[in-house]
Amino acid sequence: MLEMKEISRVYRTDLVETHALRELSLSVDTGEFVAVTGPSGSGKTTFLNIAGLLETATSGEYSLDGTDVSGLNDNQRSRIRNEKIGFIFQSFNLIPDLNIFDNVDVPLRYRGFDGAERRGRIEKALDQVGLAARMKHLPSQLSGGQQQRAAIARALAGGPSFLLADEPTGNLDSLMARQVMDLLEKINNEGTTIVMVTHDPELARRAHRNVQLLDGQLASPDPFSASQSTPIEADLQPVA
Amino acid sequence: MEFRPILSAMLRNKTGSILVALQIALTLSIVVNCMFLAKQRIDHVNRPTGMDVDNIISVRSMGFGTDYDHDRTIDNDLRLLREMPGVISASHSSGLPMNGSGSANGFAGSPDEDASRVTANYYHVDERMLDSLGTTLAAGRMFRDVEIRRADNELLNRMPQQVVITQALADKLFDGEPALGKRMYDGLGESAEVVGILEHMYGAWVGWSDFDQVAMFPQRTEGPHIRYIVRAEPGKRDELIPLIEKTLADSDRTRLIRGVSSMEETTRNSYEGDFAIAVTLSVAVGLLLGVTGLGIVGLASFTVRQRTKQIGTRRAIGARKRDIIRYFLIENWLMTTIGIVLGTVLTIAINYSLASAFNTDQLNYGFLVAGMFMLWLLGFMAVAEPARRAAQVSPAIATRTV
Ligand SMILES: Nc1ncnc2c1ncn2[C@@H]1O[C@H](COP(=O)(O)OP(=O)(O)O)[C@@H](O)[C@H]1O
Ligand SMILES: [Mg+2]
Repeated sequence: MLEMKEISRVYRTDLVETHALRELSLSVDTGEFVAVTGPSGSGKTTFLNIAGLLETATSGEYSLDGTDVSGLNDNQRSRIRNEKIGFIFQSFNLIPDLNIFDNVDVPLRYRGFDGAERRGRIEKALDQVGLAARMKHLPSQLSGGQQQRAAIARALAGGPSFLLADEPTGNLDSLMARQVMDLLEKINNEGTTIVMVTHDPELARRAHRNVQLLDGQLASPDPFSASQSTPIEADLQPVA
Repeated sequence: MEFRPILSAMLRNKTGSILVALQIALTLSIVVNCMFLAKQRIDHVNRPTGMDVDNIISVRSMGFGTDYDHDRTIDNDLRLLREMPGVISASHSSGLPMNGSGSANGFAGSPDEDASRVTANYYHVDERMLDSLGTTLAAGRMFRDVEIRRADNELLNRMPQQVVITQALADKLFDGEPALGKRMYDGLGESAEVVGILEHMYGAWVGWSDFDQVAMFPQRTEGPHIRYIVRAEPGKRDELIPLIEKTLADSDRTRLIRGVSSMEETTRNSYEGDFAIAVTLSVAVGLLLGVTGLGIVGLASFTVRQRTKQIGTRRAIGARKRDIIRYFLIENWLMTTIGIVLGTVLTIAINYSLASAFNTDQLNYGFLVAGMFMLWLLGFMAVAEPARRAAQVSPAIATRTV
C-alpha cells in the first residue's frame, strides 16, 4: 500500500548539498507495523515526511494505495494527509490553546464532517486511547504520556489507512513509552498500518519488521525479503 | 472552520488581542468623531451664501490730496465699471461680505427702550447692490436711485429712511411676523422702514453664528474710502481683475486703487481656520488609521511567527493553505469586531459628552457605520500579508521543530 522506488531527497543550502535519502526503495504492506531505526541524521524523518506527503522527494516514485502521488498539487496532498494518514510527533504537537476535544476535532473540521459525526468520532477516538474523561483538559494539564495518547486519538479519529510516528516515545519516560507502545500495538492489531521511527531498540523489536537507515540508504541488504514473519534479529544483523 | 475554537484559542492568549481590540475601539471613536467634526467644518465652509461668490470682484479706492472729490470719483468709477464688457453689475459698498471685517449694530423691531436688540451686520450700498452680489429679494423692493444718499449729504451720519434686511434678521426683529413696511430702530431711537426682504445672504464674519443677520442702507460711505463690488459674467472674472485695476487707476490720479481681488479668494482666506481644522483632523485620522493598521500587522505577524509549529501541524493533519489563511482572517475579524463593538459604545459616549459640554451637534450615525467599515477593511488589509505568510509555512515544520 506504500511503495517507494529509488526515492532521493537532496537539501540544498547556499553552502552544502545534503543527500538525506539516496535512492531509497521500500514498501510497506497493509496491516504491517514497521519500525525505522538508524542513527541521528540518517534520514528517518525525511523518509517519514515524504511518506506522509509533508514534503516531496527530489526524485523517485512514490505511490500510496496504488496511486502515484508525486504529481499531486498542494490541495490534493492536504486532502490525502487529512483522510489517509495519521501523524504522531515526538513532541505531540497538540495545539496548546485548545482542549483535548477540540484538538482531536481539528482534522475532522478540515475533513468537513458535520457536528454530530465529529462528536461521535472524537468520543470514540478518545475512548480508544483512554482519555474520554479528560476531553475538556488543556494539553498543559496532562502528562506527557496522556498528551501523546491525545495526539494518537487525533491521528486515529479520521480513520486513516496508516499511522506515521516520528519518535513517538522520544519525549516520554520508559513507563509512559511502554504504554504508548502498547496502544500502538493495539491499534495495529485492529488493522491500521503503522510506520514508526524510533531510537529505542526495545520498542523496535516489538514491530513486525525493522528497517534500518544509514546515511539515507537501507542498511539491511535486501529489505524486500523482510516480511512479517522474519525474525527481527535477522534484520538487525547487518548493523549489529 | 468555525468561530468557537478560534475564539476560545484567542481568549487563552488574550493580552495582545485585547490591547489591539482596545486600540481599534479608540481608533474607531476618534476617527468617527474627527470625521464628523471635519465634515461639520466642511459643511460650514460650503453653506450656501446666497451670493454669486465665484464671479464677484472687490476693488478698494482711497482718495488723497486736495483735488479729490469723493462723489465725483464714485460716479466716474461706477460709470467706467458698468461700461466694461463682461461686467454684469457694479455697486459701491461699505464692505465686502464674508471678508472678516465689517460693521454691526444692535437693532430692534420697536421703539421701546427695553425692546430686545438683535445684532446685525450692516452695509451702506447703492440701488444695484442685489445685482452686484447676485442675491435675491424674497419680498418688497430694492432701493431706488434717488434714495441713495450721496457722500455730501449732511444727514450721512444719521440713519437712512429705508432699509433692506435679510429674512433671518426680519424673523428675529419681528418674531416671524411679516416685516415689510415695519420700522427697524437703532439704539438712539432712529428708525428706517423695511422696504425689502432678502432671501439670504451673509455678513462679515464667517465664524459668527448670527452671520445671516444683515441689513443694507441706501447711502455712500464717507470719503475718502470706497469699495466697489463688481459682478462679472461667468468666466470673465480673472481677465477683468487686472483690467479693472488699470482702468480705474488710469482714470483718476487723485486716489489709489488697492486690493482688486476675487471674493472667492477673500472668502477662502476667511475660512482658513476651518480648512486648517478639517485638514488637521483628516491628517490625524489618517495617521491613527495607519498606526492601528501597523498594530494589527504587528500582532498578526507575531502570532504567525509564534504559531509556526502549530500552523505546520495543522497543515500536516490536513489544512489546506486557504484553511490557514481563513483561520487568521477569522481570528482577526473577531478581534476587530470586538474592538468595533467597544468602539461604538465609546464613540457614542464621546459624542454625547462633547455634545453636552460644547453644545456640538449630535453624531450623524452614518459616520459611525462608515467608521466601522473602514476598520473592518483596515483589519482585513493589515492581516492579509501575515496570513499569506502563515499559509506558506511548510507542513514539514511539524516534524522538524521541537
Ligand atoms: N530542511 C533541511 N535543510 C537542510 N538539511 C536538512 C533539512 N532537513 C534535514 N536535513 C538534513 O538531512 C539529513 C537527514 O535528516 P533527518 O531526516 O532529519 O534525519 P533523522 O531523522 O534520521 O535524524 C540530516 O543531515 C539533516 O541535517
Ligand atoms: Mg528525526
